Amino acid sequence: MRIFKFKRSLALAAVTALAATLLVTAPTVANAAPVCDGKVPVQTCGGATSDGAPYAMMVPANFNGTVYLYSHGYRPNIAIPAGIPVYGGYTITNTPQPGPNATVIGALLAKGYAVVGSGFARQGWNADSAIKTNVELVDLFKKQFTKTTKVVAWGESLGGFITQSLAEKHPDLFSAAAPLCMASDVTPLSTMAGDALWGIKTFFDPSIKGGNYSAGAAGYAEAMGDLVKVFTVIGTLQAAFAANPSTPAWPATSKVPDAIKGIPSRSALVMVALMAGIPMQSAHFDSTSAPAGLPASNTLSFQVAINPAFAALENVANAAALAVLATHDLELQAGGAIFDNTKTDYAARIAEEQFIWASALSGNSGTAGLLSVLAASPRAKADPAAAAKLKTLTSHSGKVEIPTILFTGVADPVTAAGNQQSVADKYATYWAEKWEAVKKAKGYKRPAYNQLVLWNFTPEKYTKYTAAGAPDTSVPAATGTNHCNFTTSQYMAIADLLAYASANGKNLSGGPMLTKIRKAGNMTYDRGYSAPRLKYYGDN
Amino acid sequence: MIRKTGVKRTWLAATVLAVGSLIATSLPAHAETGVTGSEIKLGITLPLTGAASPGYNKIGNAMNAYFKYVNDNGGVYGRKVTLIQKNDEYSPQLSIAKTNELILKDKVFALVGPLGTANFTSVHKSVGIAKRGVPSLFLNTGFSGFANKKTYPTSFMILPSYAMEAKIISQFIKENHAGKKLGIVYQNDEFGIDGMGAFKAAGIKFDVSVPYTSGTQSAATAQTWVSQLAAGGAQVVVFFGVTSATAPLLAVAAGAKYSPQWILGSVGADPLTLRALGVPLAVLNGAQTPAGNPSPNDTSDEYVKQFQEINTKYNAGTAFDDYVLQGMNIGLMTVQGLRAAGPNPTRKGLIKAMETKGSTFASVAYSPLGYSQTSNVGHTGYYMAVMDANGDRKPFGGKVKLYTTDSGSGPVVVSTFKRPAMPAKGLPSNS
Repeated sequence: MRIFKFKRSLALAAVTALAATLLVTAPTVANAAPVCDGKVPVQTCGGATSDGAPYAMMVPANFNGTVYLYSHGYRPNIAIPAGIPVYGGYTITNTPQPGPNATVIGALLAKGYAVVGSGFARQGWNADSAIKTNVELVDLFKKQFTKTTKVVAWGESLGGFITQSLAEKHPDLFSAAAPLCMASDVTPLSTMAGDALWGIKTFFDPSIKGGNYSAGAAGYAEAMGDLVKVFTVIGTLQAAFAANPSTPAWPATSKVPDAIKGIPSRSALVMVALMAGIPMQSAHFDSTSAPAGLPASNTLSFQVAINPAFAALENVANAAALAVLATHDLELQAGGAIFDNTKTDYAARIAEEQFIWASALSGNSGTAGLLSVLAASPRAKADPAAAAKLKTLTSHSGKVEIPTILFTGVADPVTAAGNQQSVADKYATYWAEKWEAVKKAKGYKRPAYNQLVLWNFTPEKYTKYTAAGAPDTSVPAATGTNHCNFTTSQYMAIADLLAYASANGKNLSGGPMLTKIRKAGNMTYDRGYSAPRLKYYGDN
Repeated sequence: MIRKTGVKRTWLAATVLAVGSLIATSLPAHAETGVTGSEIKLGITLPLTGAASPGYNKIGNAMNAYFKYVNDNGGVYGRKVTLIQKNDEYSPQLSIAKTNELILKDKVFALVGPLGTANFTSVHKSVGIAKRGVPSLFLNTGFSGFANKKTYPTSFMILPSYAMEAKIISQFIKENHAGKKLGIVYQNDEFGIDGMGAFKAAGIKFDVSVPYTSGTQSAATAQTWVSQLAAGGAQVVVFFGVTSATAPLLAVAAGAKYSPQWILGSVGADPLTLRALGVPLAVLNGAQTPAGNPSPNDTSDEYVKQFQEINTKYNAGTAFDDYVLQGMNIGLMTVQGLRAAGPNPTRKGLIKAMETKGSTFASVAYSPLGYSQTSNVGHTGYYMAVMDANGDRKPFGGKVKLYTTDSGSGPVVVSTFKRPAMPAKGLPSNS
């Protein structure tokens, strides 16, 4: 038996990283004119839109007329008590964030661009209100800075969702947009979260509530309790994997039949990842590498069975905790339980993946055993009114008329690459319809293809091992993994592409575009590539 | 969603994809990706190192040897054929990366002989073979799922499916081992789904059934397999897995003096590879096996004779075995496909040629090819053979009795099909 000692705990996306890169102190009187400090070479203005959302504007003295509107990502709408692993100590913040980080903002300002961003009035899933906030903010900015000629939108994660929505709904206000690592529509999002939580609950700890939280303080306590339990499960599995990666023990909280416990617990975790659509490559685990020095047969086993389990562990840890927070938030907004898997066929969901990850799932019999647990376990039922309300929230049509640039990591564990693929596919369909209409009208000029889809791929092999052969998770996350894991060069390449698209009414293309992304590094344009779309876009 | 703003790092390794996909091709306007005036570039992924590599690691070099022979004799319509081999270590995730390299960086015209079911499933899903229109010829796997032409419109199998193989073994068991206690050791994945489903459909019930998970095969696990088989009193044992699992099974069984009638599936029965893995060939004596091709030692066979000559000259130092034979044969069929696609081959043209002319290609295997506009099925049958103490095999009963069938509910029939002759000097002249 090989025992691993990790150099440190698996890396988790930390909510504390949200504390925005910029702290702009500004009056927050709703709907008042911006208050500017008048500084040179960059003046900063603050204020609040009519909904009370604070905003920040930063405008260089040599403002060239183009402003970048940034939409920040998901921030929990509840405080998270200290002591809860990783997330503990978070307090709700609506600090405005006018760009991805200070370095990028500084670079844009130096080029003569202005930046603007809101902190939004409400945290949590706030796309519908944030869209209104941003529209108002653009108007305020233009009135304050009449030299403004172009507004481009960009944002990450939930902010990417908001950005795509702005591009679809308000082509009159924006000349280009770049949704980055964008979140999916809320129904698939809640399905992914629900499947992950329900899977963890079913296999590892049935006392996890996983949704249908009570109202008020009781519900808050239940969600926080779930967070603790999820992290306890993850921590227990991590210790078990480290002690015996081949056949790690099941957590004591698991209530699956003893016969099922003959299947390694790592396979159950892989099942959770596959059924939820969570990628099988993580920040530190490439689902390919093995430590040096193992016998050949053990090497292959590590490559195809053990490493993928570690990848699932690292990614599920990130996804499940966010699933608790998002589920609690969305239930509050919808007024009841939103996750429903009464009709979900998990065998169909993993029909293809079970061949690819056969060894990680402990073969056909392992897969069949795990599926039997899922089939026999009580399913979650949504409140019909709540589910219906959820469907009224903004979703993406993919129909855009302005140039848009999509970019994401192919192994993002929180906003799966399939989200970007879904929007890309919708746009492709929309474009095809437009082209058909042109041909029907005896026209010959193809409509412009105004969507540039870029991917951040993972390296071929990247799992690092210590001299003792243990996985080393202290090294930086590999490119293409983790949530919105972009470099400053990549942000700047996107910004440059936005500037071009804004100025020219179309995306940069051909050699100049390829050169631009090549210089940024780890940005791929490949129209032949298609990220696996999450199964629940098909609704099974 | 929550953003992580931790340390970020540029991974140069990934630029192989980024850069590779960016460089505009310098081909003439009429040319196809991977085809120039002087060259046709092909690619293959397979395990060249690691536990799954024994035997399989010979296939690419054998293909290359055949292509070199063809190139020295004028190539294909004057173009030399080049094969780029990528080592995926049998890891599905690595197969994706390596195939991406082949398509985006190396810009191959087609994939030929990609190996492994999980590997090609993941490649098909993540690389978008069909969406890109990349021909993937002669998949080195018998998973019957790949015969779904709707899902795999640009792919073509070569081996009979595992389901066909199981149906034929079932027929053989009924004819020759009726009433005996049956055991099976099988790879517990799609291999098993295909095989076990077909055994069951054929009415074969195993008294002892031992699944193993791919990657776990070792002497230690083989001890448990043999214990179960022996305890269950299995008199006839079917092995349905890869050679790296056959080896410990036979070695441990021999050590335990457990000697049932072995029926070794075609995938895991290559004697030279077994010997290289430490199995004394004597333990193969009497083992029965379904075979699609003649024995690699049968120099009376025109294909074997020609391929042996090519191997001696272009693949010096490599023992001629089933894997080399298979690699050479894939080379032969590839060249016929390229020729059938015409002097200015395109990917679409190659696929069309496979559909319309592929079933007539010369191949070392005895059974018919199933290619058509509605089928990407390759060979469709086996004969049963018996191995001797040197690992050589002879047809069971003294002469080839060819069984053919399909992957579904069709019957197993004895076929009188006569395979096409080897092209003169092993150099196809079809069009």
